[in-house]
Amino acid sequence: MKLYRLETVTWQDSQLLYHALPRLDREGLILLSPASPYVCLGYFQDAEQEVDLPFCREAGIPVFRREVGGGGVYLDGQQLFWQLVIHKENPLVPTGKEAFYRRFLQPPIEAYRALGIPAEYKPVNDIVANNRKVSGTGVAEIGDYIIFVGNLIVDFDYEMMARVLKVPDEKFRDKVYKTIYENLSTIKREVADVPPTEDLWTLMADKFAALLGPMEEQRTVDAAWRAKADELAPQFLSDEWLLRRGRPGAGRTVKVREGVEVRHKMHKAPGGLIRATIEVEEKVIRHVEISGDFFFFPAEALRDLEAALAGKRIDQVEETAARFYAEQAVESPGVTPADFAQVVG
Amino acid sequence: MNIAGIEFPDNLYYDKLHNWARVEGNVVVQGLTDFGQKIAQEIVFVESPPVGRDLEQGQTFMSMESGKWVGRVPAMVSGKLLEVNEELEWEPNIINESPFEDGWLVKIEMTDAGELDNLWKADSPEFKEFIEGEAEKFKDLIG
Repeated sequence: MKLYRLETVTWQDSQLLYHALPRLDREGLILLSPASPYVCLGYFQDAEQEVDLPFCREAGIPVFRREVGGGGVYLDGQQLFWQLVIHKENPLVPTGKEAFYRRFLQPPIEAYRALGIPAEYKPVNDIVANNRKVSGTGVAEIGDYIIFVGNLIVDFDYEMMARVLKVPDEKFRDKVYKTIYENLSTIKREVADVPPTEDLWTLMADKFAALLGPMEEQRTVDAAWRAKADELAPQFLSDEWLLRRGRPGAGRTVKVREGVEVRHKMHKAPGGLIRATIEVEEKVIRHVEISGDFFFFPAEALRDLEAALAGKRIDQVEETAARFYAEQAVESPGVTPADFAQVVG
Repeated sequence: MNIAGIEFPDNLYYDKLHNWARVEGNVVVQGLTDFGQKIAQEIVFVESPPVGRDLEQGQTFMSMESGKWVGRVPAMVSGKLLEVNEELEWEPNIINESPFEDGWLVKIEMTDAGELDNLWKADSPEFKEFIEGEAEKFKDLIG
């Protein structure tokens, strides 16, 4: 297998090159970083629902849809990407997704550990350190190849990440920002002295070589690869590809890491519309804010209901709300504990 | 037929990628087996490919995502793609809940019934051996 150590490339090439390589029937490990920022969407996402496209246009931030799974993310030169293109029949490829992730996340985990960051594998596909995600990863199958991408995050623009997302209101954006900040860490936040980028590329190459075996290094894009990437560009950079409609959502969920989500949900109960912003960690409600146009008396008890739901599992919402109703003698015509389970659970 | 504690209906055909096929006249209904959905874990997206296109046995023609992994689904037989289960676009986890019934993926108008010979029946000794091997590999997931 070849090591394509390309380091800084255009933002377009940071995506097009790994889409092109399997289409040339080639395996390879690509190490690169984009020269300028952009937003990258998962294969199945709906751009108009996920991203604040008018803001991105105004700010000159391009948006790209990849063939890899996962969610929308703000990418820039402070993130060092690995992009592994490996044949499905390669003897190193184990059976099953989890086994694949476990094996091929080991090199970046070792790289983090070499920096003094206690990184570990968290199923299905996360790397965490001190319970915070430190890398984003995903997989696509293209032809007979598996494409596994991810990044070492040197620094992260949390504010811009929260800004480029389309959100129902600014309160939700603020919740997303805080949750990402609490649950995603960077090399800069974890170690006092960040090594030069050149050393980080070498570290990553060495750790992958320990798994993949010695690799011949290539530092440029050859003519055939260039031609294939250029051939793909019109499709992958078109509005038609980007704005392909995804599944209409019944709310908004931002997945921060495996097990951690910020959700905004609405539910039309007979007594009126209920809205909720919920932070969920490992199926436990960390925080919930409920609002809407329904009658709830006494009104201040709604804050108490939110407090009662915090710390409960999402499948305990109905019973918790029912107990709250029984103990607090609240009145909410046309809104029952089951309605809260719909919108919070 | 029960193999390694998992049911495989006798009237279906199977492939190595944990897909099933049910023959209804000249139409094949295709889906993911209970074993397949267990190892895929929660399926979060399913693509609805356009109907009417011609497919060849083994050709991948639609995608589904679980665990940030976009996997491709091959046609179990050659023929014209007649119908796609559009419910899955809205509720892909139907595949997890009802893999052999409500969670079917597509219907294909089969052009060559002889291709069914390339698939396994539940009572085939090779299939039993294959599933037992898979069950050992995925024992943590299938419980």
